[in-house]
Amino acid sequence: MNESILMLTVVAAIGLGTPLIFATIGEIITERAGILNLGVQGMMLVGAVSGFWATFTTESLALGVIVAVIAGAAFSAIHAFTSITLRVSQIVSGLALTIFGIGLASFLGRVGSDPLVGNPSKKVFEPILTGGIAEWPIVGPLIFGHDILVYASWLVAGLASYYLFHTRMGLSLRAVGEDPASAESAGVNVSRVRYIHVIIGGALAGLGGAYFSLVLVPTWQDDPIGAAGWIAIALVILASWRPGRAVFAAYLFGAAERIQFTLQTLGEPWSNIPSTLLSMLPFVLAIIAMILLTSGKRARFLGAPAALAIPYFREQR
Amino acid sequence: MATRRFIIEPRGLASWRLKLLVPVLSVIAALVVGAVFLGITGENPFEVYAKMVDSAFGSARGFSETLISATPLILTGVAAAVAFKMLVWNIGGEGQFIMGAVFAAGIAIWLGDGVPAVVALPAVVIAGGLGGAVWASIAAIPRVYLGTNEIITTLMLNFIALSFMNFLIFGSSSPWRDPAVSTFPTGRPIPDAARLPEFFNRLDVGIFIAMALAVAAWFLIGKTGWGFAVRIVGDSAESARYGGIKVARKVLGIFLLSGAFAGFAGGLFVSGPVGALDPRSLDLGLGFTGIIVAALAGLHLIVIIPVAVLMGALNNAGPALQSIGVPTATVTMLQGAILIFVVAGEFFIANRIRRPEPEKAPEFEEVVA
Repeated sequence: MNESILMLTVVAAIGLGTPLIFATIGEIITERAGILNLGVQGMMLVGAVSGFWATFTTESLALGVIVAVIAGAAFSAIHAFTSITLRVSQIVSGLALTIFGIGLASFLGRVGSDPLVGNPSKKVFEPILTGGIAEWPIVGPLIFGHDILVYASWLVAGLASYYLFHTRMGLSLRAVGEDPASAESAGVNVSRVRYIHVIIGGALAGLGGAYFSLVLVPTWQDDPIGAAGWIAIALVILASWRPGRAVFAAYLFGAAERIQFTLQTLGEPWSNIPSTLLSMLPFVLAIIAMILLTSGKRARFLGAPAALAIPYFREQR
Repeated sequence: MATRRFIIEPRGLASWRLKLLVPVLSVIAALVVGAVFLGITGENPFEVYAKMVDSAFGSARGFSETLISATPLILTGVAAAVAFKMLVWNIGGEGQFIMGAVFAAGIAIWLGDGVPAVVALPAVVIAGGLGGAVWASIAAIPRVYLGTNEIITTLMLNFIALSFMNFLIFGSSSPWRDPAVSTFPTGRPIPDAARLPEFFNRLDVGIFIAMALAVAAWFLIGKTGWGFAVRIVGDSAESARYGGIKVARKVLGIFLLSGAFAGFAGGLFVSGPVGALDPRSLDLGLGFTGIIVAALAGLHLIVIIPVAVLMGALNNAGPALQSIGVPTATVTMLQGAILIFVVAGEFFIANRIRRPEPEKAPEFEEVVA
């Protein structure tokens, strides 16, 4: 394969993988608390539309990101309430959040006499650290010349990893996801820990959504994020509930999404493969990974929280 | 111990009044949430809701369109309900619906014009169910024999099915594609013999087939020995195993049955209102809406029928909203809100909330099971 084409693919994979990193790490943190949130797609869309709207109205990218984060967090609080306080089915609640989010994002983008839909973003995140260093062979384009959110995603991965495995709070969090009853008797407030981390997960999903509307697809349309939210849920397993691995898993899927363009540039016979078939690739990858990684008791060895998706009844202890 | 303001305790069996009240209040609450969003964004919610009711029920034509929309939802609703009852999380109704449509259109095109309707119609319906079941099996077999979590596999299969349908129509010159249209590819119209007869405006007999299939599912689960065994597995796989029931087979059976129902929906939709494997007419999220139908109906296979009509009415009202400048997505938003309230309402069906009794005579405290 031509080296520059390979390089272009890898750099594009970093861009396409970035929103997946945010959303996947958000879901990892949520699931580590023992809560499964299938509402990632909805939270990302709500983040995408609110971030786009805020930047469109104020011409400030920082405000766009902040609003997206708050919107994602607020939206996830609905799921926190149903799954932690009301203890109802987390699966159905998450799906409900997704359906509501899909509707809400499209609605907000189209409502009114002067709707957002079809409008380009007034500002987009530009690459930083460009120039000489970005042209160093191989390392240059890999590390430099990205937008600031790419670096933020690396920071989030590092912080989340440190938080989970090297802090007291992280230990409490993992204890809550593994064995909430024991955590409670050790003095951990299970409900509070779960609320906090579901909401952090929502905030990160909102940020991931904003990456679509402010970087990748900076013109508002009904559904700018494709299936990213669903893929993020699958990536949690591929990353075996570890934020560091989420980065590589996300880039792998970014590359899988990019592959159709890469094959186009390679010319015949590669360009003859229909794009409709290639678009299946990330999903086929996810299914194969699911079957290989999570069959039988393997998921537990990987690091799946033991109490995942099981409501916790304090009174029943 | 700190005194609590409320005591929450599990309740045994909820009364039918409560089971009716929760979904009704859920719909009302969702309409209120929708009204808030409509109000904030400068629309008049009463005008919008009046328009929706009018377009769905206000005329014979509108009502027949509502029933057309309800037909696939009855079946995708049953698909979700039979699976969820058994704690089989088949979220893949969408993909199974599409593959049902692919199989149904395929058999109709393969049979061609020379076959009478008495052969073609059953073939199309059965092929739809088969397509859905085959697609479900890709997730069901690993779930049953390897223990693979089905939530993500069924979800991913939705997107693969959608890509596959797009491939058949946009990405290849498959038999499903209409050779007569070259500018913007579309599905090849299926032969008349394989089209469901219409009897009132565009409404076809698919509505009766769907209702009959829902009743059949209710009978199968509720009234047969197989259904009895399945329900035991749903209550407790452990005790079912102890009682000598082959749990793996029952789970596989219910998973495939669920897929088949989503597939029936796809088959009836293709041989009914759409008449071709047309991706634009089939990618409507009917599999996901089936989950809302099932939840709102409390997973009751007969109650699903009227609930599907209600959801069909909502779906059908979407395009009408555009004519008064309100986004179609209002409908999706309302449906999502309904599902949120229904699932939250499960709490009130499962639990009873009461004030704590005065703490004067603890020795006579009753233990509530």
